[in-house]
Amino acid sequence: MKWARRVSFNPTVLGMGVQGLYAIYRERWRYYRALELMAGAGIAIGVSLVFGVLVANSSILGSTREAIDAVNGTASLQLVARSPHGFDQGLTQRVAELPGVQTAAPILRESAVIEGPHGRMLGQLVGVSPRIVGLQGSATKDLGAGAQLLQGGVGLPAGVANTIGAHTEGKARLLVNGIAHVVQVRAALDAGAIGSLAASRVIVALLGPAQTLAGEPGRVTQILVKAYPGKDRQVEAGLRRLAAGQLNIEPANHELELAQTALKPTNQSTSLFAAISLMVGFLLALNAILLTVPDRRLEVAELREQGYDSRQVIAVLGSQALVLGIAASLAGVLLGSILAHTIFDEVPNYLATAFPITGHQQVSLLAVLVAMSCGVLATLVASMWPILDLRKSREIDAVLQEPGEPGQSIGDDIALNAALLGVVILVLATLMVLVNSGLMILGGVALAFAAPCFVPILFRAATGVLCHIARNYHGKMVAIATIELEATATRSVALASITALAIYGSIAVGGARTDLIGGIDKGISQEWNTAAVWVTPDQNIFDTDSFRVPGVTATIASVPGIASVTAHQGAFLDVGTERLWIRAAPPGNASMILSSELRQGDLARGRALMAQDGWAAVSSGFAGEEGLHVGSPFTLPTPSGPTRFNVAAITTNIGWPPGTITLNTRDYSHYWQTTDPTTLAVDLKPGTTPAAGVRAIRRALGGTSPLRVQTSAERIAEVKIIGRQGLSVLGDISNLLLLISALALAAALSTTIYQRRGRLASLKAQGFDRLQLWRGVLIESAVVLSIGCLDGAILGLYGHALADRYLRVSTSFPAPFSVGPVQVILTLAIVLGISLAVLAVPGYSAAGVPPELSFQE
Amino acid sequence: MSTLELGEVVKRYEGGGETVNAVDGVSLSVAPGEFVALYGPSGSGKTTLLMMAATIKRPDAGSITFGGRELASLTKRESARFRRETVGIVFQSFHLMQGASALDNASLKLFALNMRLGEAHDMARPWLERLGLGHRLNHKPSEMSMGERQRVSIARALANKPRLLLADEPTGNLDSRRSREVLGLLSEICAEENIPAVLVTHDPQATAFVTRVHTLRDGTLSDGLDLDLHTSMPG
Repeated sequence: MKWARRVSFNPTVLGMGVQGLYAIYRERWRYYRALELMAGAGIAIGVSLVFGVLVANSSILGSTREAIDAVNGTASLQLVARSPHGFDQGLTQRVAELPGVQTAAPILRESAVIEGPHGRMLGQLVGVSPRIVGLQGSATKDLGAGAQLLQGGVGLPAGVANTIGAHTEGKARLLVNGIAHVVQVRAALDAGAIGSLAASRVIVALLGPAQTLAGEPGRVTQILVKAYPGKDRQVEAGLRRLAAGQLNIEPANHELELAQTALKPTNQSTSLFAAISLMVGFLLALNAILLTVPDRRLEVAELREQGYDSRQVIAVLGSQALVLGIAASLAGVLLGSILAHTIFDEVPNYLATAFPITGHQQVSLLAVLVAMSCGVLATLVASMWPILDLRKSREIDAVLQEPGEPGQSIGDDIALNAALLGVVILVLATLMVLVNSGLMILGGVALAFAAPCFVPILFRAATGVLCHIARNYHGKMVAIATIELEATATRSVALASITALAIYGSIAVGGARTDLIGGIDKGISQEWNTAAVWVTPDQNIFDTDSFRVPGVTATIASVPGIASVTAHQGAFLDVGTERLWIRAAPPGNASMILSSELRQGDLARGRALMAQDGWAAVSSGFAGEEGLHVGSPFTLPTPSGPTRFNVAAITTNIGWPPGTITLNTRDYSHYWQTTDPTTLAVDLKPGTTPAAGVRAIRRALGGTSPLRVQTSAERIAEVKIIGRQGLSVLGDISNLLLLISALALAAALSTTIYQRRGRLASLKAQGFDRLQLWRGVLIESAVVLSIGCLDGAILGLYGHALADRYLRVSTSFPAPFSVGPVQVILTLAIVLGISLAVLAVPGYSAAGVPPELSFQE
Repeated sequence: MSTLELGEVVKRYEGGGETVNAVDGVSLSVAPGEFVALYGPSGSGKTTLLMMAATIKRPDAGSITFGGRELASLTKRESARFRRETVGIVFQSFHLMQGASALDNASLKLFALNMRLGEAHDMARPWLERLGLGHRLNHKPSEMSMGERQRVSIARALANKPRLLLADEPTGNLDSRRSREVLGLLSEICAEENIPAVLVTHDPQATAFVTRVHTLRDGTLSDGLDLDLHTSMPG
């Protein structure tokens, strides 16, 4: 401590000089280094869960904002088509000539697939004209020079080029609107050239070539408009006149709002899972430090004997908690960051077709601060537990007088009060969710708090039963295990609480996710089973990408073994802040409304109504926002202008979170002014197998056709995978929670094994052999883990049921509750398997502790 | 200089449905420079009496004063201040910080007095040197013998220049030679510093180093060494 002699800096905190605080913590660190490290590991693991989940919950939207801003630059308004076929490019000049317009930049956007030697990727073909340079967006600022560069080919973001193995001046295959093209890759564009778009999935081309590639000559889907300062209103009025009710006029960054709405139900689900995981992470950190409470209580008692007053004790405890909390939380943020980059860095394909989202990871300072705060707060709360010993009614050395190991006792009153608190929390959580399902996030968090509350009373009951067994039935190790459990009650309860939280979180989150996937899968199976074979353009996921292949329907219909070919249509339509999925099926087709999708109305009557013109099935979210019921009229802004429909039935969102509207193809063709299909449903004649039908159709279309021909089973399998991508964050959180829980348990078990060495040595000195001690350790641990599992499983199932209700009511996702015994057993098996594997080896090693240790202080 | 006065002090413990009078109406006065031994078997209440004098425990009845100041009525903060500024306590089981060096352990109480580390070490080091630990300043408790640990604990008790010294079985873990050394040292310091000191012991040989002996049995105090009790005690 040579520095201390030189340094006179010694400010006082709560009556303690910082040099004294440093000296005391340094001594604690020296002696309890292993324990502090293990507690720190527990905190870090909890914080990593918090941080990983925060990043997962925010990255997609943050990156979308960046990508949109990078293109829009200083544009304030935009004119947007209501159909993927766009509108006449000639309108650009008329917009540019409007008073107050400084720049009008036309854009064409089409879903596309780019294919290179190493792979393929779904994205958006974006055609731009050099006019866009006038908007000064970070992604387009260099386009003036780049225009020359892109001439006659496409530019790919560096990430896309890497993934598909394309290189500058090489070739790639571009599939768009059912047509395949071989294109020249002119440039692999990095962040220096196109800013944050470098991490996106855009395929950039000059407008003319893009129109040719898309088969939409002279058409654009969007005009970005920059107005002179103070002229926005004037420009907006001019745009409205030009739109004539057939185009949308929106703020330039409107797509961000649409993306926000599109992500809202997924974000709501993610938020629920995230909130539960956050609380589990916080409580895991809290419990990790609780394991060290007995030692801290002893330290406090000894300091007080030496004359440290309450303020000084708080200063000592607080400073130690701050040091440990900050260091461990930093480690947790680093770990969480690694997890986020390895697990969460994936963009769902279905969103990439609808929005310019990127896979760019967004790590905000707020996420770092929240995660750090959680870790430090958990450490502070748990570390300050010994201040309860400062109560007036407690004697200074009370901790030394308690039964069992000093600082380990948990009284009956604490067990009972904790259980009562748990019941109160449980009732409040239930009432909250029943009254307003939107409060489920709070309810899930409350249940996480309730889980540890029941552990002390369960612990009491378990030791009572063990005591009975030891007395009446079984040998000495059960008796020893019972005595040991009671002597180390705080530690055992903390360990059981960690188990309970791990199981609670995993079962609640995993169960709700399984139900959600089950519900979506059921709908997918039912929908794509309505025909034997499906023909779609390559990139089509939501039936929103049409294709224009002349004579294709007739070609397929003429194939031997084909009974009928029916065309399905669809597109996205921006209505207010929603990007709705408009889907159309032939009148009378069974897939118009499926039983698994129906929320309100009668299935047969709904189908019959929808066979007539002017009727539509709407998803419950849209119906709720518009106040619609079966039979209600509503107006849609179609490409032909505002059009009135009536509600034939109310459905789920059919897997597209912003909402879905189903029409018959007659209405769709009329109002969207196109007969281009998005999907062809093919029925086979009796005796023709789906596989044979697929082969025959592929032969008829030719080997180079970009259209995909799939049996219903193949289509279902593919769509299920894509459907699950939308829930991938939920899956990531669920898996992360399970992994983290197992790690937290491993850290906690290691801590407890380390703490037990002295007691094991004492038993060894009294004549117990290694195997007996090992058996005792295993019995104790099994009891503690079982208490946690029982508590966690019951609350987890309850949380799972409440979460399902929330998902159904608040997000319109289909999520029918099922107990899922396999899921529960699997969760228990994974957590227990890892725990016991962790326990068995070091437990055996700890049982080999030399008896001499019991003679050392 | 102050005198420690105990008047009709009572301390009860409740447990198993019974009330035990650990200390039952004890009166005692220890003047500056006096080194008083409380002799008694285990469970006789002598440690409880010492803890009350140190304000670690509160009496259920009676009064304890030091320099005329009533200790039983001190608030928790006042009693903490009393311990860190006025009292030096030597514990039988040392209560040392296991990760700390001898020097840091001896300085522990001084940290609570907001001393800088250098100052605290400067105050504690002479005591360790006087106790024969000058060559062990940087050793940790686990690297020291029981006797050395006890001497560190004594150095810690003395480092703040206490005006009252309380020792609970300070020789309980020492061999007879070390015991004599420690008791001689405590006696010497008590006389040198002219402070009252109380020694709790069940070792009759310790009585040779003190100015006065009282015997405590079943919570009641009697003057002198009870030899009947001595012969009936094991060891």
